Amino acid sequence: MSGILLDVRNIGKNFDAIAALSEVSVQVEAGERIGIIGPNGAGKTTFFNCVLGVLTPDTGTVYLASEDISQFPVHERARRGIGRTFQRIELFSGSTVRDHLLIAERIRRGTGNLWRDLTGRGKPRIEEIEACDHVLDLLGLGELANRPIEQLSLGQGRLVEVGRALMTQPKVLLLDEPSSGLDHQETADLAETLLEVQASSNFSIILVEHDVELVASFTDRCYVLDFGRLIASGATQEVLTNPVVREAYLGENIS
Amino acid sequence: MLFASSVAEDFLRGILQGLPPGAVYGLIAVGFVLAYKTSGVFNLAFGAQAYISAALFFHARNEWQWNVVVAFTFAVFLVAPAIGLILERLIFRHLPPGSALAKLVIAIGLSVALPHLFELLIGFEPVGGRTPEGLLPNGGGVFYDPFGVYPLSRNELTALVVAVIATALLTALFRFSAIGLQMRAAVESPRMTELNGIRADRVAAFSWALSSTFAGLAGVLMAPRFNTLAAPDYFNLIIVAITAAAFGRLMSLPRALVGGFGLGILIAQVDTFLPRFSANNSWVKAIEDNVTPAMPFIALFLLVAFWPPLRANKDQVDPLSGVDPPPQLPVAVVRTRFMTNLTHSVGVGFLSVVGFVVMTRADKSWVFLVTQAAIISLILLSITVLTGLGGMISLSQGSFAAIGAFTVFQLADRTGMSTVLAAVIGALVAAAVSGLLAIPLVRLGGMWVPIATLAFASFFDAVVVKLPFVGGGDKALIEGTRIPRPVIGPWNLTNDKTFLVFVVLILIVVSAGVIAIRSGTLGRSLAALRGSEVASQSIGVSPVRPRVIAFVISGFIAGLGGALLGMQQENVNYAGNFTPYATLFWLVLVVTLGSRTVEGAIQGGVGFSLFDRIIFRGDLFGWILRDPDRVPGFFPVSAKWRFVLFGLSTIGFAKHPEGLVESGKRKSHERMERRRARREARKSLEGASS
Repeated sequence: MSGILLDVRNIGKNFDAIAALSEVSVQVEAGERIGIIGPNGAGKTTFFNCVLGVLTPDTGTVYLASEDISQFPVHERARRGIGRTFQRIELFSGSTVRDHLLIAERIRRGTGNLWRDLTGRGKPRIEEIEACDHVLDLLGLGELANRPIEQLSLGQGRLVEVGRALMTQPKVLLLDEPSSGLDHQETADLAETLLEVQASSNFSIILVEHDVELVASFTDRCYVLDFGRLIASGATQEVLTNPVVREAYLGENIS
Repeated sequence: MLFASSVAEDFLRGILQGLPPGAVYGLIAVGFVLAYKTSGVFNLAFGAQAYISAALFFHARNEWQWNVVVAFTFAVFLVAPAIGLILERLIFRHLPPGSALAKLVIAIGLSVALPHLFELLIGFEPVGGRTPEGLLPNGGGVFYDPFGVYPLSRNELTALVVAVIATALLTALFRFSAIGLQMRAAVESPRMTELNGIRADRVAAFSWALSSTFAGLAGVLMAPRFNTLAAPDYFNLIIVAITAAAFGRLMSLPRALVGGFGLGILIAQVDTFLPRFSANNSWVKAIEDNVTPAMPFIALFLLVAFWPPLRANKDQVDPLSGVDPPPQLPVAVVRTRFMTNLTHSVGVGFLSVVGFVVMTRADKSWVFLVTQAAIISLILLSITVLTGLGGMISLSQGSFAAIGAFTVFQLADRTGMSTVLAAVIGALVAAAVSGLLAIPLVRLGGMWVPIATLAFASFFDAVVVKLPFVGGGDKALIEGTRIPRPVIGPWNLTNDKTFLVFVVLILIVVSAGVIAIRSGTLGRSLAALRGSEVASQSIGVSPVRPRVIAFVISGFIAGLGGALLGMQQENVNYAGNFTPYATLFWLVLVVTLGSRTVEGAIQGGVGFSLFDRIIFRGDLFGWILRDPDRVPGFFPVSAKWRFVLFGLSTIGFAKHPEGLVESGKRKSHERMERRRARREARKSLEGASS
């Protein structure tokens, strides 16, 4: 069990009469890339929200590096190493691209306080700016660092979200449909970049995706959700050829 | 046994006594919910609309000697819906859906502007010391006493009957008619509704007219309950309405009526039973008369802060909002460094000249006004921190300022402490109160912070100020709330010019602090939270801490400003400076001129203090013409125009949330960019031809 980084056990969540998730358990090992797939409304985003604490699950426990984080608020979980992007992109309007990363970097360092702000020492430091620009360069956003977020395309916005999450140096990164709004080439580029970054800092990735091709090429293992239940899990290639999965997810009638 | 029967009898009397005002509260709550349900506007100007109908009815009866039916029809069924239609047509129709906060700010502006505009147009002056008459002849003099415990006046019965009938009709309309269904659809997304072939703007116009009629009706029915007829009373009424509406989660019409009745009865019961306790407790005695009217504020605050179902009403997001163009950027981000430096130098130069003229040439009254402008600027900076940086709207800044001023008064009065030290303590007390207030509120989402802080401000106004250890009690009525000006070493602050320098120094220090905060961790955290709360949390930003700190800082600045204002006037002067209604105007000023920048606050302070003198009294013209006698005859213009002008200019908030100053800067920046582009184009053209 020592290799397990994120251990989500028996998560259940109901919205009134609808069981959005029931008894979902997911384990992620350090450095692993896993996928979660399923049709619309299967509970994929709800699962992310329960892991990060945006929603409080009705049942179940979340362990990060063997620590029970189920009772922690979102920002505490984030500080302990869960990073995330959003399906419906969430950016800070009125800020530049670099600002998005700078605040993440500052919070990670934990060096900001009111007294420093008031004495004029709250401005971004050179080493912080360099750290942000390094990540921006990796993502190919270096040119856009000073651009206001409003001027970016949707695809660039998704990359900024990834960059912002990376600045927190997460142990596990939750990617919520990063390919939606990106074209084929952009998706491939994003996957390649993520692989590069992951190779250098060795964090785990959970990918929620519609794009089966991306899941197939990007993840080692995957889980399949349908109506809030896990219907399959295992090595990605095997799962994707599983008849039950094909019927539920791809709508193929095998019989 | 005797005691028990008297409790039962008192209880019944409380119910009967509470029903008629409860009916009016319910009526206004129903109208309020209607507007909210159908247009998404949290219409704080509802009280102002009720006031206009009530005042118009009064004026038509007494000045124009109109027949009661004609006057009632005119005020309630003609003018009231007309105001609703005008507001919808000219203002709210043009706002993007989902901008709940912008609509709220505009409604605040309107609640400042509308009463003054009405008074100016008709020549109406607020009435005091006289009870306006009701609808029926001798309505306050004929009584019916069915149970032998409480006689209901004819006015009260009228209110009861009208409220129940009106709500029943409205509920039926909503449930059973096509327009009712369309109204419900239009609020979700006007654009979606239009895709279904319904004219959303017509639906909205209809519901505005309808809800405004309710405001007018409630206003006229309410009038005989006061022995005054003035806008602030009606502004308080809106808090009562929100409280009643909150019982129905702002969505249910019948429940809003029930909430109104419940509130009326609750107030009457407190009124009946509180004297039994106050006989033994002197501090209860001191506030006894004020607790009763303050019940809605207490109830509202508790409901908002601690009743989870209410919070479930998150701000609406239009499903089609993705098609809107993104907001524009602050000019400071895009302009060149040279332009920034140039602007700053010109600003500093201008202020230096003004400072020099004031210090050498100005007379006592000008020094007074300039000092006041600096102090108000300081107080407005507290709004810059909270609203500009934090994206939160507080309507209790006046109370925080008053806490600062009262603390100085009490400490100086009791201990003879130096007022400078006392001012620092006062600011700290205000900061602490502000922070405590913030803790239950900051997670509530955009709309609820202004509502809860308004409830707090009203409670402070009605109860806390009356406490002897705050406002000085009876002693202060006779002796006033004196604040002496201190002497610090060689500095004698009783000298007006020295005091001005002292104030300006503080203003500079606080401005520098605000600027430093904006570019520091706190400012960045607040900006992130403003942009997306969930994304900020996902990178480790606490959704509570930065906002509470912003409230603490804002409270500190407001408290300090309040203390200085007291020092300047050598008196707290609560009624003149700090009442909730008066301080709405502060927010309006900052939001109109620019809530993100220090310049916005300073221009707001200058506008607040000097607008009258320079513009409305015609001093500027006199100075330009070099002769005070040649000032045109229409000066002096009524100072009420100031409220109308700034109040109405909040309408621009939806289009330019950054404020007039910022949008002015953008325009001039764009103009210069265009000019430069033309010049370069010409140059390259010349280069090509030669």
